[in-house]
Amino acid sequence: MSVEVYLVDDHRLFLAGVTAELSEEFDIVGSAQDVDTAIEEIRGLIPDVVLVDVHMPDGGGIAVVEGVLRTNPDVKFLALSVSDQAEDVIAMIRAGARGYVTKTIEPGELVDAVRRVDAGDAVFSPRLAGFVLDAFAGAMPSDDDPELDQLTTREKDVLRLIARGFAYKQVARKLNISIKTVETHVSSVLRKLQLTNRHELARWASKRRIV
Amino acid sequence: MVAGVAGGLADSLGVGDSFVRAGFVTLSMVFGLGVLLYLGFWLAALDRVADVEPDPVSGHQAIGLGLGFTGLMILLLTVGLWPSNGLVITVWAISFGTAFLTDRNIPNPLASLLDPSMEGPGRMRMLLGVGLLIGGLAVFAANVGDIFNAGPVILAVALTGVGILVAFGPWVTRLTKDLGSERRERIRQEERAEMAAHLHDSVLQTLALIQRSDDPGRMSMLARHQEGELRDWLFGNTPLEGVDLMSTALRQAAARIEEAHQVPIDFVSVGDHVLDARTLPIVGAASEAMVNAAKHSEAERISLYFEAQETQLEVFVTDQGKGFDESSAPQGQGIPHSIRKRMENAGGMAKIESLPGEGTEVVLTLAIT
Repeated sequence: MSVEVYLVDDHRLFLAGVTAELSEEFDIVGSAQDVDTAIEEIRGLIPDVVLVDVHMPDGGGIAVVEGVLRTNPDVKFLALSVSDQAEDVIAMIRAGARGYVTKTIEPGELVDAVRRVDAGDAVFSPRLAGFVLDAFAGAMPSDDDPELDQLTTREKDVLRLIARGFAYKQVARKLNISIKTVETHVSSVLRKLQLTNRHELARWASKRRIV
Repeated sequence: MVAGVAGGLADSLGVGDSFVRAGFVTLSMVFGLGVLLYLGFWLAALDRVADVEPDPVSGHQAIGLGLGFTGLMILLLTVGLWPSNGLVITVWAISFGTAFLTDRNIPNPLASLLDPSMEGPGRMRMLLGVGLLIGGLAVFAANVGDIFNAGPVILAVALTGVGILVAFGPWVTRLTKDLGSERRERIRQEERAEMAAHLHDSVLQTLALIQRSDDPGRMSMLARHQEGELRDWLFGNTPLEGVDLMSTALRQAAARIEEAHQVPIDFVSVGDHVLDARTLPIVGAASEAMVNAAKHSEAERISLYFEAQETQLEVFVTDQGKGFDESSAPQGQGIPHSIRKRMENAGGMAKIESLPGEGTEVVLTLAIT
């Protein structure tokens, strides 16, 4: 059975483009251009994966992710945006999205990303990997849960390779581990990103680290 | 209230203008002393630029003002210019009570008095104002005869003063406020014009170029380049003004090479470092590596990754192109000179890894202290 995909984007042209790119591989079950319609339809259709734009009126992608996850925690979200602003990206992941890719992504890579999110894994673009490394770098962990506040050396290795432009397969080969292990590391980073209480995460972007 | 003197004086004293106004009214009781003072301040303040927002009244200033005022009253009493106890207390209490109640920051005093969500100090102030008003009226009631003995003329002057204050004070304040908002609107329009000019020079020009171009590759490159430039402008990717940063220099180098060689370059940076004579060679070496990748790798895109760690700076230029066998590669000037030598001279290191069919990665490292 083909993966059911739902699209949310307030730009009709972009919506049409993505539909054309994905319709051969997936079952596009619907699309919406505003937050309220999206939440209502996704609750009714319960697709496997929702591609959601970050910037939209009335709360944007975050409102869609939070609104749906409250009632349907199994729906998986992949954020898709032109925004490279770290705050937006991190906020989207913390709201519950399983990954973030920019709209300039190649069609083939987008298909891979949807499949990966559908399989329950996280999708980190090079830029997101960079943001996460930056956000977790340097500062001391908070007292609540030190394990959540820091990345392991291995996780950092994986993120660095992703940031350098390597695909998961190549990352696995470079580190002599399986693709599954790479996916596990990335999912673990995603979990930390979503659960950590580090207050730096919320405002780290305003003062990027300067050595 | 006539020439904005009270407001101006309030600005310089750092207290609410209604307090100063109340002071003037009370002083006017005493043979027009307040009127004279008002005129004096008006002359003194003619060249003052009333542009600065007043600071909120601080404890020190309030105490200072109170002490000064009391001192002045005692002085008047001593030199025999004191009209009568009842009159002065009444006018003082009513004036300052009104001052406590009317503040430009509190649009509706009554509402904030009744609304329990008001901040503590605001409520205290309201209650104090109401108390003073009631007290003033009580003293007035108890001393009606006394006051009329003191002279109906003075009473008339005081009442007229209070009337003018109540009637025109807010109007004058609003007038100056309007001037302020007009100025803000003008600044806003200038900003808008500046933005329009910028968009015209950048985005509109690029869109025109894209329309005239019939090569899809060239079109997407123009769009990409413009996107990066617009994003830099919108989100201000140069966080520290006046300080050049490694990330900025690398981003600019990547954008330049991207445009010149028509290959997209993805740039990711973690942390940052100041760009100076010592770190500049890395940017040069990285640029050389990007140009090599763009020219020879046949890769669809190039990745540029920069990380500033605590002890060293690292730059990776990675492509998934055809790669080369280092032993058999034609030894041009590029790799040995521009990259290796440049990094060694800077006290750093360059490592080049390439496998035929797998792509190339150039790793530049420089220790920092």
